[in-house]
Amino acid sequence: MKNINLYLVEFAINALLRAKSKNIFILVVFTLLTSLLTAVFLITGSIKHELQSTVQALPQITVQKIKAGRHYDIDTIIADDIINIAGVSEATPRVWGYYYFENAGVNFSLLGIDQYEQQYKESLSKVVETYDFDTPNSEAQMIVGQGVQKIMQENYYKDYFNFIKPDGSFKKVTLAGVFDAQTQLESNDMILMSKENVREIFGISENRATDIVVKVPNPEEVSTIASKIKMMYPDTRVISSNDLQVSYQNIFDYKSGVFLALFTIALFTFFMIIYDKTSGLSSEEKREIGILKAIGWRVDDILKEKFYEAFIVSFLAYTLGVILAFGFVYLFQAPLLREIFVGYSQLKTSFELPFIFDLQMLFLVFFLSVPIYIAATIIPSWRAATLEVDEIIR
Amino acid sequence: MILAPEVLTLFILNGIFLLFATVAFVLSVNIFLNWDINATTPKQYSLEKQSFLAATIVKYIFMLKLPLFLFFVFTLDKISSLLTGAMCAAGVVDATEYGTYLLMLKLLNLYLFGFWLTLHYLDIKNPNLPYTKMKFEFFIIAFLFLVMEIVLEGIMFASLDIDKMVSCCGSLYSSASTSAMGDILTINTPLLLGLFYGIFVLMILFYFFRVKYLFALLNITFIIGALISLISLFGTYIYELPTHHCPFCFLQADYYYVGYVLYTALFIGTFYGIRTGIMEMLGEKSCKSYNVSLIFNTLYVLLVTLYPIVYFIKNGVWL
Repeated sequence: MKNINLYLVEFAINALLRAKSKNIFILVVFTLLTSLLTAVFLITGSIKHELQSTVQALPQITVQKIKAGRHYDIDTIIADDIINIAGVSEATPRVWGYYYFENAGVNFSLLGIDQYEQQYKESLSKVVETYDFDTPNSEAQMIVGQGVQKIMQENYYKDYFNFIKPDGSFKKVTLAGVFDAQTQLESNDMILMSKENVREIFGISENRATDIVVKVPNPEEVSTIASKIKMMYPDTRVISSNDLQVSYQNIFDYKSGVFLALFTIALFTFFMIIYDKTSGLSSEEKREIGILKAIGWRVDDILKEKFYEAFIVSFLAYTLGVILAFGFVYLFQAPLLREIFVGYSQLKTSFELPFIFDLQMLFLVFFLSVPIYIAATIIPSWRAATLEVDEIIR
Repeated sequence: MILAPEVLTLFILNGIFLLFATVAFVLSVNIFLNWDINATTPKQYSLEKQSFLAATIVKYIFMLKLPLFLFFVFTLDKISSLLTGAMCAAGVVDATEYGTYLLMLKLLNLYLFGFWLTLHYLDIKNPNLPYTKMKFEFFIIAFLFLVMEIVLEGIMFASLDIDKMVSCCGSLYSSASTSAMGDILTINTPLLLGLFYGIFVLMILFYFFRVKYLFALLNITFIIGALISLISLFGTYIYELPTHHCPFCFLQADYYYVGYVLYTALFIGTFYGIRTGIMEMLGEKSCKSYNVSLIFNTLYVLLVTLYPIVYFIKNGVWL
């Protein structure tokens, strides 16, 4: 409301410098706290962005059969019925699954594709163009992600791999190629081969598939078509990409929310520390306030000066913390902290956290840092400001 | 829903507000009951000291409530993507029966706390502290509103249900809807425009003739007139869509966050306008608030007027 008194600001800065060691301690701790908080929000923001962009590349609707509460193989005939629904442009049965490789303790994702089928993902169409999957005469071939290739080589499978089929016999598949590095997030643990081979490895019969993906060109129609499929086949689970997007948002809100809830404890502890630190005035500081009041400072002036002090410290800590967090997350890719959010798996994809600048996040961290610090200093500053002059100076 | 970081942040800050406001409330009651400026007792002396603490706390809360209100609206906007059917904050506000009241209460509290601060500045400017008793009496009432707001906010976020279908702003603010909103939207345009600009012209007249009470009164009607005309007419020009009347969508990035500018200008303009009335009531001079009020109200009027004009220049027709 009133103009900022620059002399008072100067006085506040000098007062802070006078109690250097105490204030530097507070500043360092507070900076670390805010940077930790910011880093967590930055990481979740980036991962969320990454996942949201992969969701957009996914098929609009996925249909799974549920039997006894579990995911079960679905009849491929269903795809023919689905494609007859108005608005659906493609319905493709997918054959895929996870293959557990015991020696390395990892799961590979096996995906079967057909050479002459319309591919539901662009990256797959490229692969189909480059490699030939329609070779009934020759031996079985596969294309693997970089992570898979590395694991296989470590276990001395250089040119081929022996899959164990459900009946215990082996299926030898030769390695035909490796994915590009660009698609690492989605292809690191992937193995691509023809549908027949995947069916053989997993023991899926000819007229069954793992699930059916449905392509709907008009995004407005997705939810209607999803409900139509559900009406036709009540025993299926119909997942639309919108559902996925919302649940991703929920998962990450939940993750950072849990973190924040735990972090609240740290914040309140910090609140107590600040309260305590600013309450304990040294005799020197008391004298100073006494002299200021004796030469004509009003209670309001001292309160204002104390507020400037608190604001300078907390805002500096906030700014430094945010800068530190940006460096930590985007320059060093957030070691340690990132593991909390990426989840662990042996064949974890290694990817760069994309740079996302979210203004709202900055406000969020601001509201969680500066006001709390200032709140902690209100009562101690008031105590100091209303000290009796004669009692102090005497 | 409760665990979304934004909502948690609001809760944490509300907790701090509640804690400090309660302290200030206890002090206020104490001061209100025992204040006697002519007494020289130790009690009066300590009361005077306590009044500083209470004032600092209220100042702190108000200074945070201003940006926090914008943050609150921002949060509603963000949450809207999680609720089925909601496309902007309107859906979230309408998702529970408390949303509308909460929003109104929040706005009311902003005005109340602002007036409290006005009273406070007048009070400490005068060495006799003439308004101390009055300002703490006022705070006792404001505190009740604050508690109501915090409780309501808690209830609202707790009762948000992600799986429930909510209405989108397109259906909430359509002239076909049966609520009061529908009636407002059917007011014909010339009448509405006449009212809106009429109030504004009268305001300028009263500004030059310094009719303070009427000026303040006009500011109150200006809030209502501005909001109605914004929803039913100017909004459609911001969206360039004759059927879209939502007062929240233009807070989003698609419209360059213009809503924040509009609402802030409207708030500052009318706040200072009403303030002149209060200052007049207390017999104080209020030149500055006069000017501030007029500047921001004019800014608001210019901004909303610009949208239809630019639209007309671009397209050659009115919506």
